[in-house]
Amino acid sequence: MALKTEFTMNNETNRRALNGHEVVMHSHHYLALITKLVEDLEDLGGPQILCEVVEENMRNILNDYFQENSLSSAEERYRAGEDYFSTFGLGKMHITGDEKGGEVRLTSSHIDEGWTMKWGPHSKPVNHLTRGFISAIFSAAFNKPPKSYAIDETASIVTGEQESKFIVTAL
Amino acid sequence: MTVMRDTVVKALAKVHVQSDENGLIPEYEVLVNLLPVSLLNTFSERMMEAAPPERKDEVEAGLVRAAYECGYHTGCGIITSEIFSDVVMPMVTEDEKDILRGAYAAFTAWGWAKSGIVQLKEAEKMTIRAFDYYEADSGGKGLRGFMLRGLSQAFFDLAYAEPYPDGMDTYLCRQTKGIEVGDSYGEFVVVKK
Repeated sequence: MALKTEFTMNNETNRRALNGHEVVMHSHHYLALITKLVEDLEDLGGPQILCEVVEENMRNILNDYFQENSLSSAEERYRAGEDYFSTFGLGKMHITGDEKGGEVRLTSSHIDEGWTMKWGPHSKPVNHLTRGFISAIFSAAFNKPPKSYAIDETASIVTGEQESKFIVTAL
Repeated sequence: MTVMRDTVVKALAKVHVQSDENGLIPEYEVLVNLLPVSLLNTFSERMMEAAPPERKDEVEAGLVRAAYECGYHTGCGIITSEIFSDVVMPMVTEDEKDILRGAYAAFTAWGWAKSGIVQLKEAEKMTIRAFDYYEADSGGKGLRGFMLRGLSQAFFDLAYAEPYPDGMDTYLCRQTKGIEVGDSYGEFVVVKK
């Protein structure tokens, strides 16, 4: 993993930070239930809210990292995004594509494997968190504003596929 | 001897989780994740904002439930883990009471909440005070300690309800004070349902 990771701890509060951004541990039970919650609250826009919140927050983290480490090419930025995804324990991501869009594969996935461990396979893709994460990587990689890409999950580990696949399209 | 909180906090604070070659963190019988605090707080607030007044309780219950189930299953993994056995168990002389003290030392060590037990009536009631918890930064209106509510309920269930995994939903936790509403600490009270 090429990502430079600096973990720090506030000695007063014991809160942790990764590369200057506070982080906290939870388990697959938490994210599986958060995913289920947004699915159940689809009428309130739950899946889209989760996706957009992840994009906003990850964009800030990625932008800071790109700047501090002078990463300018899309390839370098993709690799940093993939490494962040793994450092957070969210799985293994493989990105290909350019400014117009691309394809992202997950060969392992915290959300999908966590959901399956908890409730078994599901009938449709549910990885809204990763859609937001991918959107953040593409918009940050090409210095575009949030919501510049549509992310469509076309295959999913939670439905029994070997890998998850996301199609990225510039809007 | 009983659980020496500062010793436990100091020892557990050194624990550092790291992902494997698949980008996953299998620890404590679960898959662990590490997420930005700002992301989690923003998510809770946006969901609360999106809900009309008559459905805010439903969203709040969902957020507490996520924390509760995470706490119940992961909590069991933590209190039966090697690190807990090495650091906390040698100090345990009062069984469940000391295991709970150890659990709140872990909450503090791992940055969930700088918290501890201020009152405990075994198997009946527990009062927790938290002087720092990340949800206090959420910026929302009203009490926002959803995570600590869920975790406290989970740990009281683990300590005093039927043995894992049959003791779920025996106790209930409500938040009575919050840093986020101007109190000097958050207060959480667990009672039987």
